[in-house]
Amino acid sequence: MGAIYRREMQCYFYTPAAYVFMGVFLALSSVFFGFGNLGARSSDLMALLDRMSYIWMLLSPVLTMRLIAGEKQQRTDQLLYASPCSLSAQVAGKYFAACTVLLITVLATVMYPLVVAVYGKLYVGETLVGYMGLILQGCAFLALDLFISCFTRNQMTAAVAGVGANLLVWLADAMAQALSGSFAARALNFISLYRRFAPFARGQLSLSNALYDVLFIFIMLFLSVRVLDARRWSEA
Amino acid sequence: MCYNTFRYSDGRQTAFDGGMRMIRLDGVSKRYGTHRALQDVSFTVPKGQILGLLGQNGAGKTTAMNIMTGCLAPSQGTAVIGGYDVMRSPREAKRLIGYLPETAPLYDEMTVRAYLRFACELKEVRKQAIAGHVEAVGEKTGLTDVLDRKIGNLSRGYRQRVGFAQALCGSPEVIILDEPTTGLDPRQSAEMRALVKSLAGQHTVLFSSHILSEVQALCDRVIILHHSRVICDSAMQALRCGERRLRAVIACGEGSLLPRLRQLPSVSRVEVERGGREGITQVVMTVEEGQNAERELFTLLSGLQTPLLRLAPVEDSLEDVFLRATMDENEE
Repeated sequence: MGAIYRREMQCYFYTPAAYVFMGVFLALSSVFFGFGNLGARSSDLMALLDRMSYIWMLLSPVLTMRLIAGEKQQRTDQLLYASPCSLSAQVAGKYFAACTVLLITVLATVMYPLVVAVYGKLYVGETLVGYMGLILQGCAFLALDLFISCFTRNQMTAAVAGVGANLLVWLADAMAQALSGSFAARALNFISLYRRFAPFARGQLSLSNALYDVLFIFIMLFLSVRVLDARRWSEA
Repeated sequence: MCYNTFRYSDGRQTAFDGGMRMIRLDGVSKRYGTHRALQDVSFTVPKGQILGLLGQNGAGKTTAMNIMTGCLAPSQGTAVIGGYDVMRSPREAKRLIGYLPETAPLYDEMTVRAYLRFACELKEVRKQAIAGHVEAVGEKTGLTDVLDRKIGNLSRGYRQRVGFAQALCGSPEVIILDEPTTGLDPRQSAEMRALVKSLAGQHTVLFSSHILSEVQALCDRVIILHHSRVICDSAMQALRCGERRLRAVIACGEGSLLPRLRQLPSVSRVEVERGGREGITQVVMTVEEGQNAERELFTLLSGLQTPLLRLAPVEDSLEDVFLRATMDENEE
Protein backbone atom coordinates (compact mmCIF):
# COMPACT_ATOMS: atom_id res chain seq x y z
CA MET A 1 0.00 0.00 0.00
CA GLY A 2 2.90 2.34 0.78
CA ALA A 3 4.27 2.02 -2.75
CA ILE A 4 0.90 2.85 -4.30
CA TYR A 5 0.41 5.79 -1.93
CA ARG A 6 3.82 7.27 -2.71
CA ARG A 7 3.33 6.87 -6.46
CA GLU A 8 -0.07 8.52 -6.36
CA MET A 9 1.32 11.42 -4.33
CA GLN A 10 4.13 11.85 -6.87
CA CYS A 11 1.59 11.73 -9.67
CA TYR A 12 -0.62 14.38 -8.05
CA PHE A 13 2.27 16.80 -7.75
CA TYR A 14 4.08 15.91 -11.03
CA THR A 15 0.89 16.61 -12.98
CA PRO A 16 -1.50 19.59 -12.75
CA ALA A 17 -4.21 17.58 -10.91
CA ALA A 18 -3.36 18.61 -7.32
CA TYR A 19 -2.52 22.20 -8.30
CA VAL A 20 -5.80 22.63 -10.19
CA PHE A 21 -7.74 21.19 -7.28
CA MET A 22 -6.00 23.28 -4.63
CA GLY A 23 -5.87 26.44 -6.73
CA VAL A 24 -9.55 26.43 -7.68
CA PHE A 25 -10.64 25.45 -4.18
CA LEU A 26 -8.60 28.16 -2.49
CA ALA A 27 -9.59 30.79 -5.06
CA LEU A 28 -13.33 30.08 -4.60
CA SER A 29 -13.13 29.82 -0.82
CA SER A 30 -11.17 33.09 -0.70
CA VAL A 31 -13.94 34.78 -2.67
CA PHE A 32 -16.51 33.43 -0.18
CA PHE A 33 -14.33 34.55 2.75
CA GLY A 34 -13.76 37.98 1.19
CA PHE A 35 -17.44 38.70 0.61
CA GLY A 36 -18.96 36.73 3.49
CA ASN A 37 -16.54 37.61 6.29
CA LEU A 38 -14.21 40.49 5.41
CA GLY A 39 -16.76 42.46 3.37
CA ALA A 40 -19.58 41.80 5.81
CA ARG A 41 -17.29 42.27 8.87
CA SER A 42 -18.46 38.88 10.21
CA SER A 43 -16.59 36.48 12.51
CA ASP A 44 -18.95 33.62 11.64
CA LEU A 45 -16.92 30.95 9.89
CA MET A 46 -19.70 28.36 9.87
CA ALA A 47 -21.31 29.83 6.75
CA LEU A 48 -17.93 29.75 5.02
CA LEU A 49 -17.39 26.07 5.92
CA ASP A 50 -20.88 25.31 4.63
CA ARG A 51 -20.04 26.91 1.28
CA MET A 52 -16.68 25.16 1.15
CA SER A 53 -18.45 21.81 1.39
CA TYR A 54 -20.27 22.70 -1.85
CA ILE A 55 -16.90 23.18 -3.53
CA TRP A 56 -15.84 19.65 -2.48
CA MET A 57 -18.87 18.32 -4.26
CA LEU A 58 -17.81 19.87 -7.56
CA LEU A 59 -14.05 19.41 -7.31
CA SER A 60 -13.46 16.02 -5.66
CA PRO A 61 -13.71 14.11 -8.99
CA VAL A 62 -10.60 16.04 -10.14
CA LEU A 63 -8.65 14.01 -7.58
CA THR A 64 -10.31 10.65 -8.20
CA MET A 65 -11.05 10.45 -11.92
CA ARG A 66 -7.53 9.24 -12.71
CA LEU A 67 -7.19 6.79 -9.82
CA ILE A 68 -8.80 3.75 -11.46
CA ALA A 69 -10.14 4.94 -14.84
CA GLY A 70 -6.80 6.56 -15.69
CA GLU A 71 -4.91 3.33 -14.96
CA LYS A 72 -7.23 1.44 -17.28
CA GLN A 73 -6.98 4.13 -19.97
CA GLN A 74 -3.16 4.02 -19.92
CA ARG A 75 -3.19 0.22 -19.48
CA THR A 76 -1.00 0.52 -16.40
CA ASP A 77 -3.58 -1.44 -14.41
CA GLN A 78 -1.91 -4.68 -15.56
CA LEU A 79 1.28 -3.69 -13.75
CA LEU A 80 -0.70 -3.44 -10.52
CA TYR A 81 -2.87 -6.52 -11.03
CA ALA A 82 0.17 -8.69 -11.84
CA SER A 83 2.00 -7.49 -8.71
CA PRO A 84 1.82 -9.13 -5.26
CA CYS A 85 0.03 -6.00 -3.97
CA SER A 86 -3.59 -6.92 -3.15
CA LEU A 87 -6.57 -5.08 -4.63
CA SER A 88 -7.54 -3.77 -1.17
CA ALA A 89 -4.05 -2.35 -0.66
CA GLN A 90 -4.17 -0.75 -4.11
CA VAL A 91 -7.53 0.89 -3.46
CA ALA A 92 -6.51 2.00 0.04
CA GLY A 93 -3.20 3.45 -1.19
CA LYS A 94 -4.95 5.46 -3.90
CA TYR A 95 -7.69 6.64 -1.56
CA PHE A 96 -5.32 7.80 1.18
CA ALA A 97 -3.25 9.72 -1.38
CA ALA A 98 -6.38 11.60 -2.51
CA CYS A 99 -7.29 12.26 1.15
CA THR A 100 -3.80 13.65 1.78
CA VAL A 101 -4.21 16.21 -1.02
CA LEU A 102 -7.58 17.13 0.45
CA LEU A 103 -6.05 17.55 3.93
CA ILE A 104 -3.24 19.73 2.57
CA THR A 105 -5.90 21.90 0.93
CA VAL A 106 -7.84 22.15 4.19
CA LEU A 107 -4.63 23.07 5.99
CA ALA A 108 -4.14 25.97 3.59
CA THR A 109 -7.56 27.36 4.59
CA VAL A 110 -6.41 27.78 8.20
CA MET A 111 -5.46 31.32 7.15
CA TYR A 112 -9.18 32.27 7.35
CA PRO A 113 -9.61 31.45 11.06
CA LEU A 114 -6.25 33.12 11.74
CA VAL A 115 -7.44 36.35 10.10
CA VAL A 116 -10.67 36.15 12.09
CA ALA A 117 -8.71 35.51 15.32
CA VAL A 118 -6.54 38.59 14.70
CA TYR A 119 -9.32 40.99 13.68
CA GLY A 120 -12.39 39.56 15.40
CA LYS A 121 -13.57 36.81 17.75
CA LEU A 122 -12.85 33.20 16.80
CA TYR A 123 -15.03 30.44 18.31
CA VAL A 124 -12.31 27.79 18.42
CA GLY A 125 -14.44 24.78 19.43
CA GLU A 126 -17.16 25.40 16.86
CA THR A 127 -14.59 26.05 14.15
CA LEU A 128 -12.76 22.81 14.91
CA VAL A 129 -16.03 20.86 14.78
CA GLY A 130 -16.89 22.56 11.49
CA TYR A 131 -13.52 21.61 10.06
CA MET A 132 -14.00 18.03 11.22
CA GLY A 133 -17.30 17.87 9.37
CA LEU A 134 -15.75 19.45 6.29
CA ILE A 135 -12.93 16.87 6.19
CA LEU A 136 -15.29 13.92 6.74
CA GLN A 137 -17.54 15.30 4.03
CA GLY A 138 -14.65 15.64 1.57
CA CYS A 139 -13.36 12.14 2.34
CA ALA A 140 -16.85 10.70 1.80
CA PHE A 141 -17.05 12.38 -1.63
CA LEU A 142 -13.60 11.03 -2.53
CA ALA A 143 -14.63 7.49 -1.60
CA LEU A 144 -17.82 7.77 -3.66
CA ASP A 145 -15.94 9.19 -6.67
CA LEU A 146 -13.25 6.51 -6.45
CA PHE A 147 -16.01 3.92 -6.57
CA ILE A 148 -17.49 5.64 -9.65
CA SER A 149 -14.01 5.64 -11.26
CA CYS A 150 -14.00 1.81 -11.12
CA PHE A 151 -16.75 1.58 -13.73
CA THR A 152 -15.11 3.31 -16.67
CA ARG A 153 -11.91 3.54 -18.70
CA ASN A 154 -12.43 7.19 -19.52
CA GLN A 155 -11.31 9.85 -17.05
CA MET A 156 -13.78 12.47 -18.27
CA THR A 157 -16.64 10.03 -17.89
CA ALA A 158 -15.44 9.26 -14.37
CA ALA A 159 -15.31 12.99 -13.53
CA VAL A 160 -18.75 13.85 -14.91
CA ALA A 161 -20.35 10.76 -13.35
CA GLY A 162 -18.60 11.65 -10.09
CA VAL A 163 -20.10 15.16 -9.98
CA GLY A 164 -23.51 13.66 -10.77
CA ALA A 165 -23.22 11.11 -7.96
CA ASN A 166 -22.03 13.79 -5.52
CA LEU A 167 -25.03 15.97 -6.36
CA LEU A 168 -27.33 13.02 -5.89
CA VAL A 169 -26.11 12.11 -2.40
CA TRP A 170 -25.77 15.80 -1.45
CA LEU A 171 -29.26 16.78 -2.49
CA ALA A 172 -30.96 13.54 -1.52
CA ASP A 173 -32.73 15.18 1.43
CA ALA A 174 -34.05 17.96 -0.84
CA MET A 175 -35.52 15.28 -3.10
CA ALA A 176 -36.91 13.54 -0.01
CA GLN A 177 -39.01 16.59 0.79
CA ALA A 178 -40.93 16.07 -2.43
CA LEU A 179 -41.73 12.50 -1.41
CA SER A 180 -42.44 13.22 2.25
CA GLY A 181 -43.53 10.31 4.38
CA SER A 182 -42.79 7.54 1.92
CA PHE A 183 -40.15 4.83 2.26
CA ALA A 184 -38.22 6.45 -0.60
CA ALA A 185 -38.15 9.72 1.34
CA ARG A 186 -36.74 7.97 4.42
CA ALA A 187 -34.14 6.20 2.29
CA LEU A 188 -33.13 9.46 0.58
CA ASN A 189 -32.88 11.18 3.94
CA PHE A 190 -30.66 8.37 5.16
CA ILE A 191 -28.16 8.62 2.30
CA SER A 192 -28.09 12.43 2.23
CA LEU A 193 -24.58 13.61 3.01
CA TYR A 194 -25.79 17.19 3.48
CA ARG A 195 -28.04 16.07 6.27
CA ARG A 196 -25.00 14.48 7.97
CA PHE A 197 -22.95 17.62 7.52
CA ALA A 198 -25.55 20.12 8.74
CA PRO A 199 -24.90 19.65 12.51
CA PHE A 200 -21.14 20.14 12.00
CA ALA A 201 -21.87 23.34 10.03
CA ARG A 202 -23.73 24.62 13.11
CA GLY A 203 -20.73 23.79 15.31
CA GLN A 204 -22.43 20.76 16.90
CA LEU A 205 -20.27 17.67 17.32
CA SER A 206 -22.34 14.67 16.19
CA LEU A 207 -20.71 11.28 16.70
CA SER A 208 -23.52 9.41 14.96
CA ASN A 209 -23.10 11.53 11.84
CA ALA A 210 -19.31 11.18 12.00
CA LEU A 211 -19.73 7.40 12.26
CA TYR A 212 -22.12 7.48 9.32
CA ASP A 213 -19.48 9.21 7.19
CA VAL A 214 -16.80 6.69 8.23
CA LEU A 215 -19.13 3.80 7.44
CA PHE A 216 -20.05 5.38 4.09
CA ILE A 217 -16.32 5.64 3.23
CA PHE A 218 -15.66 2.03 4.25
CA ILE A 219 -18.59 0.71 2.20
CA MET A 220 -17.54 2.67 -0.90
CA LEU A 221 -13.96 1.37 -0.66
CA PHE A 222 -15.16 -2.18 -0.07
CA LEU A 223 -17.45 -1.97 -3.11
CA SER A 224 -14.59 -0.55 -5.20
CA VAL A 225 -12.47 -3.61 -4.38
CA ARG A 226 -15.37 -5.93 -5.20
CA VAL A 227 -16.00 -4.21 -8.55
CA LEU A 228 -12.34 -4.45 -9.54
CA ASP A 229 -12.20 -8.09 -8.51
CA ALA A 230 -15.41 -8.89 -10.40
CA ARG A 231 -13.95 -7.36 -13.57
CA ARG A 232 -11.23 -10.01 -13.61
CA TRP A 233 -13.99 -12.54 -14.27
CA SER A 234 -15.84 -10.60 -16.92
CA GLU A 235 -13.41 -8.35 -18.83
CA ALA A 236 -12.06 -9.19 -22.25
CA MET B 1 0.64 -34.67 -30.52
CA CYS B 2 2.80 -34.63 -27.46
CA TYR B 3 6.35 -35.58 -26.67
CA ASN B 4 7.67 -36.75 -23.27
CA THR B 5 4.07 -36.73 -22.16
CA PHE B 6 2.76 -36.11 -18.63
CA ARG B 7 -0.64 -37.39 -17.67
CA TYR B 8 -3.03 -35.25 -15.60
CA SER B 9 -5.40 -36.66 -13.03
CA ASP B 10 -8.29 -36.60 -15.51
CA GLY B 11 -6.32 -38.47 -18.15
CA ARG B 12 -5.26 -35.56 -20.34
CA GLN B 13 -1.62 -35.28 -21.25
CA THR B 14 0.87 -32.49 -21.69
CA ALA B 15 4.48 -32.39 -22.78
CA PHE B 16 7.77 -31.64 -21.01
CA ASP B 17 7.12 -32.38 -17.43
CA GLY B 18 10.72 -33.17 -16.64
CA GLY B 19 12.36 -31.15 -13.86
CA MET B 20 10.72 -28.54 -11.68
CA ARG B 21 7.57 -27.13 -13.26
CA MET B 22 7.50 -23.35 -12.95
CA ILE B 23 4.29 -22.83 -14.92
CA ARG B 24 1.39 -25.25 -15.05
CA LEU B 25 -1.92 -24.66 -16.76
CA ASP B 26 -4.43 -27.40 -16.11
CA GLY B 27 -7.62 -27.43 -18.19
CA VAL B 28 -7.84 -23.63 -18.34
CA SER B 29 -10.83 -22.17 -20.17
CA LYS B 30 -12.07 -18.60 -20.38
CA ARG B 31 -15.49 -17.52 -21.61
CA TYR B 32 -16.90 -14.05 -22.20
CA GLY B 33 -20.62 -14.68 -22.45
CA THR B 34 -20.96 -17.11 -25.35
CA HIS B 35 -17.48 -16.37 -26.74
CA ARG B 36 -14.78 -18.85 -25.78
CA ALA B 37 -11.43 -17.11 -25.54
CA LEU B 38 -9.59 -20.19 -24.27
CA GLN B 39 -10.64 -23.83 -24.29
CA ASP B 40 -9.19 -26.51 -22.05
CA VAL B 41 -5.58 -25.37 -22.32
CA SER B 42 -3.04 -27.49 -20.45
CA PHE B 43 0.72 -27.34 -20.50
CA THR B 44 3.69 -27.10 -18.16
CA VAL B 45 6.94 -25.19 -18.47
CA PRO B 46 10.01 -26.51 -16.65
CA LYS B 47 12.46 -24.23 -14.91
CA GLY B 48 14.87 -22.39 -17.20
CA GLN B 49 13.00 -23.06 -20.43
CA ILE B 50 12.14 -20.39 -23.00
CA LEU B 51 8.71 -21.22 -24.36
CA GLY B 52 7.23 -19.52 -27.41
CA LEU B 53 3.48 -19.06 -27.56
CA LEU B 54 2.37 -18.71 -31.16
CA GLY B 55 -1.00 -17.95 -32.60
CA GLN B 56 -2.95 -15.66 -34.85
CA ASN B 57 -4.76 -12.59 -33.51
CA GLY B 58 -7.55 -13.70 -31.20
CA ALA B 59 -6.08 -17.18 -30.72
CA GLY B 60 -6.00 -16.70 -26.95
CA LYS B 61 -2.32 -15.90 -26.28
CA THR B 62 -2.93 -12.70 -24.31
CA THR B 63 -5.85 -14.25 -22.43
CA ALA B 64 -3.63 -17.17 -21.40
CA MET B 65 -0.92 -14.78 -20.22
CA ASN B 66 -3.38 -12.61 -18.33
CA ILE B 67 -4.68 -15.69 -16.54
CA MET B 68 -1.15 -16.81 -15.61
CA THR B 69 -0.39 -13.39 -14.15
CA GLY B 70 -3.65 -13.12 -12.22
CA CYS B 71 -4.95 -10.17 -14.27
CA LEU B 72 -7.88 -12.35 -15.36
CA ALA B 73 -9.65 -15.18 -13.61
CA PRO B 74 -10.16 -18.44 -15.55
CA SER B 75 -13.74 -19.67 -16.06
CA GLN B 76 -12.41 -23.19 -15.51
CA GLY B 77 -9.13 -24.87 -14.60
CA THR B 78 -6.11 -23.68 -12.66
CA ALA B 79 -2.94 -21.73 -13.35
CA VAL B 80 -0.06 -22.60 -11.04
CA ILE B 81 3.20 -20.63 -10.84
CA GLY B 82 6.09 -22.17 -8.93
CA GLY B 83 3.67 -24.45 -7.09
CA TYR B 84 1.25 -21.65 -6.10
CA ASP B 85 -2.25 -21.42 -7.53
CA VAL B 86 -2.60 -17.89 -8.94
CA MET B 87 -6.20 -17.58 -7.70
CA ARG B 88 -5.77 -19.18 -4.28
CA SER B 89 -2.31 -17.88 -3.33
CA PRO B 90 -2.01 -14.79 -5.53
CA ARG B 91 0.62 -13.03 -3.45
CA GLU B 92 3.03 -15.98 -3.41
CA ALA B 93 2.47 -16.73 -7.11
CA LYS B 94 2.82 -13.11 -8.24
CA ARG B 95 6.09 -12.69 -6.35
CA LEU B 96 7.53 -15.15 -8.86
CA ILE B 97 6.24 -13.33 -11.96
CA GLY B 98 7.59 -10.49 -14.07
CA TYR B 99 5.10 -9.46 -16.73
CA LEU B 100 5.44 -7.25 -19.76
CA PRO B 101 1.98 -6.89 -21.33
CA GLU B 102 1.45 -6.13 -25.03
CA THR B 103 1.31 -2.40 -24.22
CA ALA B 104 4.11 -1.60 -21.77
CA PRO B 105 2.47 -0.31 -18.55
CA LEU B 106 4.34 2.99 -18.20
CA TYR B 107 3.65 6.22 -16.33
CA ASP B 108 4.77 9.00 -18.65
CA GLU B 109 5.19 11.58 -15.90
CA MET B 110 7.72 9.48 -13.96
CA THR B 111 11.46 9.21 -14.56
CA VAL B 112 12.77 5.77 -15.49
CA ARG B 113 14.49 5.52 -12.10
CA ALA B 114 11.36 6.46 -10.14
CA TYR B 115 9.31 4.00 -12.21
CA LEU B 116 11.73 1.12 -11.63
CA ARG B 117 11.85 1.99 -7.92
CA PHE B 118 8.06 1.77 -7.87
CA ALA B 119 8.17 -1.59 -9.68
CA CYS B 120 10.71 -2.86 -7.10
CA GLU B 121 8.49 -1.71 -4.24
CA LEU B 122 5.50 -3.48 -5.80
CA LYS B 123 7.59 -6.66 -6.10
CA GLU B 124 8.53 -6.32 -2.43
CA VAL B 125 12.27 -5.86 -2.97
CA ARG B 126 13.97 -4.91 0.33
CA LYS B 127 14.12 -1.13 0.76
CA GLN B 128 17.90 -1.07 1.25
CA ALA B 129 18.46 -3.11 -1.91
CA ILE B 130 16.23 -1.09 -4.25
CA ALA B 131 18.74 1.55 -5.40
CA GLY B 132 21.35 -1.07 -6.32
CA HIS B 133 18.76 -3.28 -7.96
CA VAL B 134 17.47 -0.43 -10.13
CA GLU B 135 21.05 0.31 -11.29
CA ALA B 136 21.64 -3.37 -12.08
CA VAL B 137 18.39 -3.79 -14.01
CA GLY B 138 19.07 -0.51 -15.84
CA GLU B 139 22.51 -1.74 -16.84
CA LYS B 140 21.22 -5.12 -18.00
CA THR B 141 18.58 -3.52 -20.21
CA GLY B 142 20.78 -0.68 -21.51
CA LEU B 143 18.89 2.08 -19.70
CA THR B 144 21.75 3.51 -17.62
CA ASP B 145 21.97 6.70 -19.71
CA VAL B 146 18.26 7.46 -19.48
CA LEU B 147 17.54 6.53 -15.86
CA ASP B 148 16.84 10.15 -14.93
CA ARG B 149 14.79 11.03 -18.01
CA LYS B 150 11.01 11.19 -18.05
CA ILE B 151 9.42 8.12 -19.63
CA GLY B 152 7.09 10.32 -21.70
CA ASN B 153 10.12 11.77 -23.52
CA LEU B 154 11.62 8.41 -24.53
CA SER B 155 11.52 6.76 -27.97
CA ARG B 156 9.40 3.68 -28.61
CA GLY B 157 12.41 1.37 -28.34
CA TYR B 158 13.47 2.78 -24.99
CA ARG B 159 9.91 2.68 -23.68
CA GLN B 160 9.74 -1.01 -24.49
CA ARG B 161 13.06 -1.54 -22.70
CA VAL B 162 11.69 0.24 -19.64
CA GLY B 163 8.69 -2.11 -19.70
CA PHE B 164 11.08 -5.05 -20.00
CA ALA B 165 13.23 -3.71 -17.13
CA GLN B 166 10.09 -3.47 -15.01
CA ALA B 167 9.43 -7.18 -15.65
CA LEU B 168 12.94 -7.98 -14.40
CA CYS B 169 12.56 -6.02 -11.16
CA GLY B 170 12.74 -8.31 -8.15
CA SER B 171 14.52 -11.00 -10.24
CA PRO B 172 11.36 -13.06 -10.71
CA GLU B 173 11.70 -16.74 -11.57
CA VAL B 174 9.08 -16.54 -14.31
CA ILE B 175 9.09 -13.85 -16.98
CA ILE B 176 6.06 -13.48 -19.22
CA LEU B 177 6.43 -11.30 -22.31
CA ASP B 178 3.46 -10.54 -24.55
CA GLU B 179 4.71 -9.68 -28.03
CA PRO B 180 7.66 -7.64 -26.74
CA THR B 181 8.96 -6.71 -30.21
CA THR B 182 5.68 -5.42 -31.67
CA GLY B 183 6.11 -1.94 -33.09
CA LEU B 184 9.90 -1.93 -32.84
CA ASP B 185 12.18 -1.33 -35.82
CA PRO B 186 14.47 -4.23 -36.92
CA ARG B 187 17.42 -3.01 -34.85
CA GLN B 188 15.32 -2.51 -31.74
CA SER B 189 13.74 -5.94 -32.27
CA ALA B 190 17.19 -7.53 -32.49
CA GLU B 191 18.22 -5.79 -29.26
CA MET B 192 15.06 -6.96 -27.53
CA ARG B 193 15.66 -10.53 -28.74
CA ALA B 194 19.20 -10.37 -27.36
CA LEU B 195 17.80 -9.26 -24.00
CA VAL B 196 15.35 -12.16 -23.93
CA LYS B 197 18.07 -14.59 -24.97
CA SER B 198 20.22 -13.35 -22.08
CA LEU B 199 17.60 -14.64 -19.63
CA ALA B 200 17.98 -18.25 -20.78
CA GLY B 201 18.79 -20.65 -17.99
CA GLN B 202 18.36 -18.15 -15.15
CA HIS B 203 14.64 -17.52 -15.67
CA THR B 204 11.70 -19.41 -17.08
CA VAL B 205 10.45 -17.32 -19.98
CA LEU B 206 7.09 -17.42 -21.74
CA PHE B 207 7.19 -15.38 -24.88
CA SER B 208 4.40 -14.70 -27.35
CA SER B 209 4.91 -13.44 -30.86
CA HIS B 210 3.49 -13.31 -34.37
CA ILE B 211 7.00 -13.42 -35.79
CA LEU B 212 7.82 -17.05 -36.37
CA SER B 213 11.53 -16.57 -37.06
CA GLU B 214 11.81 -14.75 -33.74
CA VAL B 215 10.30 -17.67 -31.85
CA GLN B 216 12.50 -20.07 -33.78
CA ALA B 217 15.62 -18.08 -32.85
CA LEU B 218 14.79 -17.68 -29.16
CA CYS B 219 12.73 -20.56 -27.87
CA ASP B 220 13.48 -24.07 -26.71
CA ARG B 221 9.92 -25.09 -27.30
CA VAL B 222 6.82 -23.80 -29.02
CA ILE B 223 3.10 -24.06 -28.32
CA ILE B 224 0.68 -23.09 -31.06
CA LEU B 225 -2.73 -21.80 -30.04
CA HIS B 226 -5.44 -21.78 -32.66
CA HIS B 227 -9.12 -21.03 -32.16
CA SER B 228 -8.48 -20.85 -28.39
CA ARG B 229 -6.95 -24.33 -28.16
CA VAL B 230 -3.47 -25.83 -28.10
CA ILE B 231 -2.93 -27.54 -31.45
CA CYS B 232 0.80 -28.10 -31.24
CA ASP B 233 3.23 -28.48 -28.33
CA SER B 234 6.72 -29.37 -29.39
CA ALA B 235 10.42 -28.89 -28.74
CA MET B 236 12.08 -26.71 -31.34
CA GLN B 237 14.22 -29.63 -32.49
CA ALA B 238 11.21 -31.85 -32.97
CA LEU B 239 8.74 -29.57 -34.67
CA ARG B 240 6.46 -31.97 -36.38
CA CYS B 241 3.08 -31.46 -34.86
CA GLY B 242 2.27 -35.17 -34.83
CA GLU B 243 3.69 -36.03 -38.19
CA ARG B 244 6.97 -36.00 -40.09
CA ARG B 245 7.86 -35.76 -43.72
CA LEU B 246 10.24 -37.77 -45.88
CA ARG B 247 11.65 -36.80 -49.27
CA ALA B 248 12.30 -39.82 -51.53
CA VAL B 249 14.01 -39.87 -54.95
CA ILE B 250 13.09 -43.03 -56.83
CA ALA B 251 14.38 -44.24 -60.21
CA CYS B 252 10.96 -44.94 -61.70
CA GLY B 253 8.20 -43.12 -63.61
CA GLU B 254 5.47 -41.71 -61.37
CA GLY B 255 2.53 -43.26 -63.24
CA SER B 256 2.67 -46.74 -61.69
CA LEU B 257 4.51 -45.73 -58.53
CA LEU B 258 2.27 -43.05 -57.01
CA PRO B 259 -0.84 -45.23 -56.42
CA ARG B 260 1.34 -47.81 -54.63
CA LEU B 261 2.99 -45.16 -52.45
CA ARG B 262 -0.41 -43.77 -51.45
CA GLN B 263 -1.48 -47.27 -50.39
CA LEU B 264 1.33 -47.59 -47.83
CA PRO B 265 -0.39 -47.85 -44.41
CA SER B 266 1.77 -45.26 -42.61
CA VAL B 267 1.70 -42.65 -45.38
CA SER B 268 -1.08 -40.08 -45.08
CA ARG B 269 -0.14 -37.83 -48.02
CA VAL B 270 2.15 -37.98 -51.07
CA GLU B 271 3.17 -34.82 -52.93
CA VAL B 272 5.14 -34.97 -56.18
CA GLU B 273 7.96 -32.46 -56.63
CA ARG B 274 8.20 -31.53 -60.31
CA GLY B 275 11.26 -30.46 -62.28
CA GLY B 276 13.30 -33.65 -61.93
CA ARG B 277 14.85 -35.72 -64.72
CA GLU B 278 12.73 -38.05 -66.82
CA GLY B 279 12.33 -41.50 -65.28
CA ILE B 280 13.11 -40.13 -61.81
CA THR B 281 10.29 -39.41 -59.35
CA GLN B 282 10.80 -37.10 -56.39
CA VAL B 283 8.07 -37.18 -53.73
CA VAL B 284 7.45 -35.83 -50.24
CA MET B 285 5.56 -38.28 -48.06
CA THR B 286 3.76 -37.22 -44.90
CA VAL B 287 4.03 -39.95 -42.27
CA GLU B 288 2.16 -40.38 -38.99
CA GLU B 289 4.48 -39.98 -36.00
CA GLY B 290 5.69 -43.35 -34.66
CA GLN B 291 5.11 -45.25 -37.94
CA ASN B 292 7.97 -46.97 -39.77
CA ALA B 293 7.37 -45.72 -43.31
CA GLU B 294 11.00 -46.32 -44.27
CA ARG B 295 10.58 -50.09 -43.84
CA GLU B 296 7.34 -50.14 -45.84
CA LEU B 297 8.97 -48.11 -48.63
CA PHE B 298 12.05 -50.36 -48.83
CA THR B 299 9.82 -53.46 -48.93
CA LEU B 300 7.66 -51.97 -51.69
CA LEU B 301 10.58 -50.86 -53.85
CA SER B 302 12.54 -54.10 -53.44
CA GLY B 303 9.41 -56.00 -54.54
CA LEU B 304 9.22 -53.75 -57.63
CA GLN B 305 12.98 -54.08 -58.13
CA THR B 306 13.12 -50.28 -58.27
CA PRO B 307 16.22 -48.44 -56.95
CA LEU B 308 15.77 -45.85 -54.20
CA LEU B 309 18.26 -43.07 -54.98
CA ARG B 310 17.74 -40.95 -51.89
CA LEU B 311 15.63 -40.89 -48.72
CA ALA B 312 15.90 -38.02 -46.21
CA PRO B 313 13.70 -36.30 -43.62
CA VAL B 314 12.32 -32.89 -44.57
CA GLU B 315 13.33 -30.21 -42.04
CA ASP B 316 10.26 -28.09 -41.43
CA SER B 317 10.59 -24.41 -40.67
CA LEU B 318 8.38 -23.02 -37.95
CA GLU B 319 6.43 -21.21 -40.66
CA ASP B 320 5.61 -24.52 -42.36
CA VAL B 321 4.51 -26.08 -39.10
CA PHE B 322 2.40 -23.10 -38.13
CA LEU B 323 0.68 -22.86 -41.50
CA ARG B 324 0.10 -26.59 -41.72
CA ALA B 325 -1.19 -26.82 -38.18
CA THR B 326 -3.59 -23.92 -38.55
CA MET B 327 -4.65 -25.03 -42.05
CA ASP B 328 -5.43 -28.56 -40.87
CA GLU B 329 -7.49 -27.12 -38.07
CA ASN B 330 -9.49 -24.99 -40.50
CA GLU B 331 -10.07 -27.98 -42.75
CA GLU B 332 -11.50 -29.94 -39.84
